[in-house]
Amino acid sequence: MSNIDDNGLELRTDVLVIGGGPAAAWAAIAASERGAHVVIVDKGYVGTSGAFAASTSGHKVLPSVAELRDPVKFERYTMGGFLAQHRWWDRLLDITYDRAPRIWQWGGYDIPVWDRSAKGSYRGLQGSETMRILRKVMIQKGVKILDQSPALELLIDNAGAVAGARGINRQTDVPWTVKAGGTVIAAGGVAWLSKALGCNTNTGDMHLAAAEIGAELSGMEFSGHYSPAPIHSSCTKGAFYRYATYTAEDGNELQGLSKNGHRSTSAVAKELLKGPVYCKLDKGTGKPEVRQMLRLMQPNFFAAFDKIGLDPFEQRWQITLRLEGTVRGTGGVRIANDECGTTVPGLYAAGDTATRELNCGAFTGGAGPNMTWAIGSGNIAGRAAADFARSLGKTVNERAVHRTGSAGLRPRSASSTFDPNAVVKGVQDEVFPYDKNIFRTEKGLLTSLAKLEQLWEEVKGNPLQDTPQQLVRSREAAALVITARWAYFAGLRRTETRGMHKRLDYPALDPAQRHYLRVGGLDKLWTRADPVPEAIVEKPRAAEPIADAAE
Amino acid sequence: MIELVSESRCINCDKCVKVCPTNVFDAVPDGAPRIARKADCQTCFLCEAYCPTDALFVAAEAHEHVAVNEAELEQKGLLGVYRNHLGWAKGSSPIERLDEYRTLADKVGSPI
Repeated sequence: MSNIDDNGLELRTDVLVIGGGPAAAWAAIAASERGAHVVIVDKGYVGTSGAFAASTSGHKVLPSVAELRDPVKFERYTMGGFLAQHRWWDRLLDITYDRAPRIWQWGGYDIPVWDRSAKGSYRGLQGSETMRILRKVMIQKGVKILDQSPALELLIDNAGAVAGARGINRQTDVPWTVKAGGTVIAAGGVAWLSKALGCNTNTGDMHLAAAEIGAELSGMEFSGHYSPAPIHSSCTKGAFYRYATYTAEDGNELQGLSKNGHRSTSAVAKELLKGPVYCKLDKGTGKPEVRQMLRLMQPNFFAAFDKIGLDPFEQRWQITLRLEGTVRGTGGVRIANDECGTTVPGLYAAGDTATRELNCGAFTGGAGPNMTWAIGSGNIAGRAAADFARSLGKTVNERAVHRTGSAGLRPRSASSTFDPNAVVKGVQDEVFPYDKNIFRTEKGLLTSLAKLEQLWEEVKGNPLQDTPQQLVRSREAAALVITARWAYFAGLRRTETRGMHKRLDYPALDPAQRHYLRVGGLDKLWTRADPVPEAIVEKPRAAEPIADAAE
Repeated sequence: MIELVSESRCINCDKCVKVCPTNVFDAVPDGAPRIARKADCQTCFLCEAYCPTDALFVAAEAHEHVAVNEAELEQKGLLGVYRNHLGWAKGSSPIERLDEYRTLADKVGSPI
């Protein structure tokens, strides 16, 4: 086993992108098209990592036509507790409309046109196919790809600007160092290893690494997102539950689990706390053509049933709610400027790693708005990182650099060795239960925070590093602890109910708290409120919801 | 979780070792990859999607081991079923799948 401070592979580049999903890929492509040399590193494989590759939903791109965009924008604006900014929404939708159709072109498809007369037939490519195409394009553009190479820490220069990252190839056991001018972190959100679909690469490693060099988080209180899944499976695909009848053990129908066509997570959770809940897709799905259409839309939803020989249109199945954390929540690394920059010079954040409050506020959920953020922020961050690298001139990679990784990587105290799997279990015991994470109270949050603080003390001890897997898991364990602490600390400070943040002791939205909550710190946590720099925009009369725009 | 690497179907290309997002497999010289870290499998089915010979089977059960029988899976048509649905199998394409979807969607519209 290599020592984490061995040299190994050393590369120098203009832009380093950390992550393997759509935001990372778009950042790499955008930086490359801006003339930068680009290296992309990912814990898994660039093309299968993260929530999007595993999901089979496509997404629409909406032209700048109010009657098409407004229903989506305003429905989400209200659900998101008015924390989104229309200035950002419009900018992100414009970038997505401009850039996303290139995927079709690169993949050899006819580019679809969404016009006023189009109905349901426009549909984006599925996640796995989109990522296959984006990987091919990165290779064509000369982007260097390091797969199976988790980043473990960021590097900084003498002035405190980011200067690349270090990590290890977990298959060859060779450490790597990439010195770079600009660095984009786009490694997904954090779902606390819940096995929500495609989310187990999303462990918050870059949230921790960024905070270690001075970055801040925002919206971490909006991190308690759960989706329904058949109890045996990982398949957290929520869209088709709108066709479901919910029943209790005795077969009686459970009412009120959907509101305005949207599933109510808290209503489902309340029933699950009482006893088993079952579903069957029997609302409007009688015709064979309908069933076949739904199968074609989301093949993985049905794979989970086909493999156990259950027909979800005819038989009921037991459901659970699985935590998706900030992957479908909105918290993440705080965006400090229009370039998707963080508070650290040269460090940019995109996709689920960054806060998605700017277009989604306090709630998201499904595909469209999240993809818009991934594509928009990826393009903005990649381009800005290339410009930053250029601004440093030719000596960009001659800077002296310093390693910064601490908890879970290098011991900070002389305490004993910790077992990363026990720490992960300890965090999960605080973040998985519905009565702790969906139904929040001051007392509950304080109790969980006390336990998480003990775990934080543990991960400052000696990490197990006998194998590359242990090395990576130890660092992940530290990241899972700190992200949970930020989530609950911000949740404690937001004394109201807004979007997906529900406080039983403060059940109403408080207009005086229409602000973002910055959160940060490693040992001692802090929060700071920033007002939303835009007055509430009233919904135009014509903007009625489009039923299938949600997911 | 991943339950089967079929020795008879596997061509030792190690593609699954390369693409698995959670690094579940270990390559074996001149042999089929070994399932080395099953508990890390996140049940995303992407190894199946990338396997050129449908030699892998990921059971839908994400949290517990289940016994599988290769002959039975083959007989039920469950080997390669996900790759086929994505349009990534031989003789199929994602474009075909998308066209099929569009035709149906235009015909039946939104179910409710």
